[in-house]
Amino acid sequence: MASIWTIEQIENALPQRRPFIFIDGVDAIDIENARVVCYKNVTMNENFLQGHFPNNPVMPGVLITEALAQAGIILYAVLKPEVAAKKPIYYLGKSEIRFTNPVLVGDKLMLDVTAEKLMPSAGIVSVKALVDNKTAAHGKIYFGIKN
Amino acid sequence: MSKNIDTEKIKAEIKQIVAEIAEVELDELTPEATFTEDLGVDSMMALEIVASIEKKYKISVPEEEIPTIRSLQNVYDIVLKILG
Repeated sequence: MASIWTIEQIENALPQRRPFIFIDGVDAIDIENARVVCYKNVTMNENFLQGHFPNNPVMPGVLITEALAQAGIILYAVLKPEVAAKKPIYYLGKSEIRFTNPVLVGDKLMLDVTAEKLMPSAGIVSVKALVDNKTAAHGKIYFGIKN
Repeated sequence: MSKNIDTEKIKAEIKQIVAEIAEVELDELTPEATFTEDLGVDSMMALEIVASIEKKYKISVPEEEIPTIRSLQNVYDIVLKILG
């Protein structure tokens, strides 16, 4: 299914820039349940896969966490547009992520993020990364927001 | 109708939660110590404290109350008011 957001909308919501954007598209936005689902297509073009690991490319857990955190920023931009419009700095405070399955070349990594608490200066989101409906990672991300 | 709640037990539990999240010793954590200046608790930790307490006591702290939380005493007051 095609992304419901354009690349321009994604880049407008995220402070990161290429090659450090880990969101290729937005699959669903559910404002009522404070949830978004984004995705990242993992291809052999990713430069980090050349070294992680030679002849055995696996997406690093820290980058899965980063992708989930970026999906969290998109969720924040959807639910708190008045704060996001000021282009604040988002900083990662704490991540509690359990990795359950490897993410490999060719996988479409779904980044399912639900708000637990969002404030103008901080937020907590529940996160789940899935490949073919199988959980690759899940947990919570705590982040701060500074103007 | 007033509920029969064990105030001292709840205060001890809240203190434990705050100490763990703020990474401070229980002795250091006086009710009046200010989160930001004395204990180095930022807004993110304050939110984490609120989320933990909401989960433990199955309560909901109104969003507008969260910025007013500046000390352990504030947390006691808010939780005990809600549990009432």
